[in-house]
Amino acid sequence: MKFNKIIAVAAIAVSGMLIASSCSRQVTRVSTDETIDISGNWNNSDSRLVAADLTDKILNAPWINTHQEEHQGKRPVVIVGFIQNKSHEHIDAETFVKDVESAFIQTQKVRLVQGGKKREELRAEKEDQQTNATVSSMKKFGLENGADYILQGSINSIVDAHKRQKVVYYQVNLELTNIQSNEVVWIGEKKIAKYVKN
Amino acid sequence: MQRKLIIIASLLIGSFYSGVVHAQQTTALEPDQNPRYLESQYKYMRGADSLNSLHGTTIQNTYKAYDWYEAKLERRRQNREWRHEERMNGYYDYSPSWSLYGGYSYPYSNWGWNSGWGGGWGGRYGNRGGWGTNIGVGVGWRW
Repeated sequence: MKFNKIIAVAAIAVSGMLIASSCSRQVTRVSTDETIDISGNWNNSDSRLVAADLTDKILNAPWINTHQEEHQGKRPVVIVGFIQNKSHEHIDAETFVKDVESAFIQTQKVRLVQGGKKREELRAEKEDQQTNATVSSMKKFGLENGADYILQGSINSIVDAHKRQKVVYYQVNLELTNIQSNEVVWIGEKKIAKYVKN
Repeated sequence: MQRKLIIIASLLIGSFYSGVVHAQQTTALEPDQNPRYLESQYKYMRGADSLNSLHGTTIQNTYKAYDWYEAKLERRRQNREWRHEERMNGYYDYSPSWSLYGGYSYPYSNWGWNSGWGGGWGGRYGNRGGWGTNIGVGVGWRW
């Protein structure tokens, strides 16, 4: 009788431990350079590949030298426009566009001006300074750097799926256009294809 | 007479002024600049703020791609949900409905185009609430 009780208690304890261990979640820090594909959807590795490829292409294209030759050695000023995601997945282009912007500043080859909501905030701050800051520190309106080029882009995808197999093709395009002349001075593309088997 | 002189003088002054303004506008043009550039400028002046607020953002124009496997999982999920709701409503309809071969327990054949599993799914759609039975019945009907 006593032995049976011990066995019962042990069984309950072991099953409890098993349930607890099966329910516990494990989280491990991994390197951001490591490629971990789980669902086959767009992930950080794809964003990283696009950023590395397009950054390299845009900084080594001849448009920078051409601009400097035409403008007495002045560096081109770029503003980032919008990126259109026309793929089948939710993708935020900011993850790779920020890497491109960062490379512009780090290499000092291209000057970058702020756009969108951040620019609105800057102007609002400037407006606030007109009545609250000291005259010597107050920033004036009408002295912003005008961009020479705008960076725009699109993300497209093609999905070919049958039963448990799927091939997904992504194409990311970035293009740089001269704001004055509308001339496209650079186009970069990165293609990624994935085979997914469920 | 004096009145006529005043009218003539004012007309002269007016035409001189408009000529000056026109000359200023003409001289303000860059070489090869379109003289009607102001029309375009006014047109975009109205929408510039809303368009420029999109700078640096990603516009999501996504589409839904058909994925056979995902669709199957979705169908399963929806049926599971439907059965759960039926049970929660307090009834579960086992009566034959609009299915091709009638009731949930009808031993249908698969007509050779699929395995019993496939036939089971097919039967399931036309048969409210009997999928467990259907799967079992269809097995072995491969041509």
